Amino acid sequence: MTMLLTHSEVGLCDAAQRAVELAARRGARARASVHHEGVAKAAMRGGEVETAERSGSQNLSLTVVHEGRRGSASTAGFDKAAIERVVEEAMLIAAYVEPDADADLPPPDALAFSGPAPQLYADSPRSPEAMLEAAGALDRIAGGIAASDSRLRAGESVAATTEGLWALATSDGFCRSALRSNDARWTVMLAQDESGSISDFCQSQERQADALSSAQSLAQEAADRACRSLGARAIDSRRCPVLFDPRTAATLVDIIAGALNGVAQYRRMSFLPDPLGRALAPAHLDLQEDPFEPLGLASGGFDGEGIAGSTRAILRSGVVEGLFLSTFSGRKLGMASTGNADGYYNLRLTSTAPSGDRAAMLRMLGTGLVVTHFQGGKTDPASGNWTQAVRGFWVEGGEIVHAVTDVTLAGTVPAMLNGIRAVGRDVERMGAIRTGSILIEDMQLGGWA
Amino acid sequence: MNGGEIALERARAKLLGPSGLDEAAIGRALNELAGRGADLADLYFEASSMRSWQLEGGRVTQGGFAMRQGVGARSVHRGQVSFAHSADIREGALLETVRAVRTLERSGGVGRDRQGIAPGRRAAAHDLYPALDAVSIEDASAWIAILERIDERARAQDPRILRVDANVRATDTTVLVADADGMLAGDVRPMTILSMVVIAEQDGRRARGQAGLGRHAGLEGFDAASIDAMVASATVMALNNLVAIPAPVGEMPVVLGPGYPGVLFHEAVGHGLEGDHHRKHLSAFDGRLGERIAAPGVTVIDDGGMAGRLGSLGIDDEGTAPERTVLVEDGILTGLMQDRLNAGLMNARSTGNGRRQSYAHLPMPRMTNTFLANGRADPADIIASIDRGIYATEFDGGQVDIVTGRFNFTTIAAWLVEKGRLVAPVRGATLIGVGHEALRHVSMVGEDLAFDSGMATCGKQGQSLHVSVGQPTLRIDRLMVGGQAG
Repeated sequence: MTMLLTHSEVGLCDAAQRAVELAARRGARARASVHHEGVAKAAMRGGEVETAERSGSQNLSLTVVHEGRRGSASTAGFDKAAIERVVEEAMLIAAYVEPDADADLPPPDALAFSGPAPQLYADSPRSPEAMLEAAGALDRIAGGIAASDSRLRAGESVAATTEGLWALATSDGFCRSALRSNDARWTVMLAQDESGSISDFCQSQERQADALSSAQSLAQEAADRACRSLGARAIDSRRCPVLFDPRTAATLVDIIAGALNGVAQYRRMSFLPDPLGRALAPAHLDLQEDPFEPLGLASGGFDGEGIAGSTRAILRSGVVEGLFLSTFSGRKLGMASTGNADGYYNLRLTSTAPSGDRAAMLRMLGTGLVVTHFQGGKTDPASGNWTQAVRGFWVEGGEIVHAVTDVTLAGTVPAMLNGIRAVGRDVERMGAIRTGSILIEDMQLGGWA
Repeated sequence: MNGGEIALERARAKLLGPSGLDEAAIGRALNELAGRGADLADLYFEASSMRSWQLEGGRVTQGGFAMRQGVGARSVHRGQVSFAHSADIREGALLETVRAVRTLERSGGVGRDRQGIAPGRRAAAHDLYPALDAVSIEDASAWIAILERIDERARAQDPRILRVDANVRATDTTVLVADADGMLAGDVRPMTILSMVVIAEQDGRRARGQAGLGRHAGLEGFDAASIDAMVASATVMALNNLVAIPAPVGEMPVVLGPGYPGVLFHEAVGHGLEGDHHRKHLSAFDGRLGERIAAPGVTVIDDGGMAGRLGSLGIDDEGTAPERTVLVEDGILTGLMQDRLNAGLMNARSTGNGRRQSYAHLPMPRMTNTFLANGRADPADIIASIDRGIYATEFDGGQVDIVTGRFNFTTIAAWLVEKGRLVAPVRGATLIGVGHEALRHVSMVGEDLAFDSGMATCGKQGQSLHVSVGQPTLRIDRLMVGGQAG
């Protein structure tokens, strides 16, 4: 039973269809997407409430195609006047821009008028009071852990929850909606000793509160992460193997997926040009996409154009089999949409190479760097040049020697991909991406000398 | 002119009239919001509209329009903030939003009683930017022509320019702030951002260049000379990056060019001097006011009252007029940036730095226009002083860890310097340092203070804002440089 939403599913569908009908009456093909979200969030620190929030948002966005020209407009108001204005503005824009045959809406037979709709919503306590209670419990536990170690101080503990509703209608008679939920908890810990101060955090995010990590494990993990990072120091520049822990490994997967996005491809803003059928990674690697995982954080029955995705291989044995295409980017590349107008669905990186748990991965690393945090840097989408300031641990003989900071890693993404030796069984889910730690056999580390 | 009665009139027309609200209704909502004795209670109304045009493949085939409005209601009791917001601002919905705030309060009834609030106090007028509408369909043809010219000129620069993407986005924002102390203040904030990305290709190698212009203005704020300079800047960056060599690694002297590299002081100093980080004892600069934290000659200022700069504000988002806050004076830490909440809890006063991304976000201490003041060195002498190091003129953003003071930036335009001369462009390098250590190693400060081109944004706790950053050319004796060269 939803408790944060103020609009109904029917109300949203009505608003979307009203906008589409008004545009159709003016001779346009049209698509309207209506979002509504309710949020409750509480942040506690030291037994006190820092902030308590309750909010609602809504947006209607309309795309029209008229005489081969496209216009888009959006409004936060759903009243008659606002919808009429949005139609007017979208039509006006279509009158000014140049025609582009690729900008037309998808053919009706591409739309998912029916088909599987993965579960995206689950009941959970979502009132502001429930968030205050959850944040309070996390804050108490974090405070207790901090009190047991003189190096620790508990930072903010946060509980946040969202309920969302989305309706999509097109002038081809498509009208579907989806209800979704999201629950998150996180806590921050500060550690301090003679070497200095450091903060770290741990968070859990799911579509239902029951599936979240326990407050105890979140606070303990945040405390452990902060303490382990004390005494971090730079090391000398060198080439060495690097193990990206699952949290940072997920970022690498995101970079690969970004380079295979249709927009990057047709704009020639990808360091992996013309990738289909090419081996871009070692043969032991597979990357799978699954839109339909029940309660998956990036699941969906159709994209923002009304087209369904599919369960498929993006990389099979290191060879690129799939791109992430919308109708528009697909047409620019001479291909059909893959149902990825809103980006990728749930992704999972796997490897058939020898692997193991975290300890085994440290042994495989031998002597090298474990990366636990990206502190800032850049991937140049055109050249693939990659550089990051990183934090982590120096490992010798498979054992952690000390924490590391103030060092950089640099390389090119294609070379990094080719250098992946193993993917760990220490799999974590970071939003849409599941991966274990990634071991790259040789990278340039920048440090003191 | 803007602010004062002019902006209030605009706010009444855009926000209050269409929603059937008047000042009496706002007073009633504030009474309800603050009635239980809040230390601070305010309503922030906002209406915005945005229009954009996008060029790709030599043609403008996409445009967009968006409009939104809403109100954020906040009450504070002994530092505990309760906040709700709504896209509906009619009186019934406004009272619902205010009641939602009341239900979140955990410790009411302890402050002074606040019945009978009648908003009457006004903010002063200002001349920082005009109260004009930047978003007009009338300008569509002119903007489309400008975007097409950008494409033509960029391609004309060099046959290796493979692709040009350009975008213009004009936004009109009207805000109205009302608080339980009886203040009612408005501001009209026009803004237009013109930006471009080019891709160059040679022998199968690709490189990217980017540039942009941001103004508190509409079409009239963009002259041909500025646009041509932007095009030249983006294309030269791409062509340089095409032939760039791997950046060196290790600790070395770094010269930062004038303008956007001032983001160094935004990250390395500015964030650590925001009041909230000090109230919570999180900042690496906590407890160090009055101490020397930088070399003599280093003076860093945040000034929200500079005409034309994108970080400027007639009033901040709590209705306070902006100030010039000297953060570091000749190397000594002298000031913090405050919003009303943190100032109230720290026995200080707001410096006009209370900013928020929108009505749906809470205000917090944020920077406005932050820069390093001029020194006396000749920029050419600064480069000539380097035996082996890096000269960087453009970065792609930057980050800082408030707790440790560690910051980093990645260059998008930089050169290897040997024996005082620029040797070759280098590929993106990440520069890292610790704020208070890097500041002590600033050894030469130039006399060529410049600001970014209006493209600087700042992210904090998920909220993004336009700011401005600036500095003259300067030398830092020791900074870690991380590149691909071994």
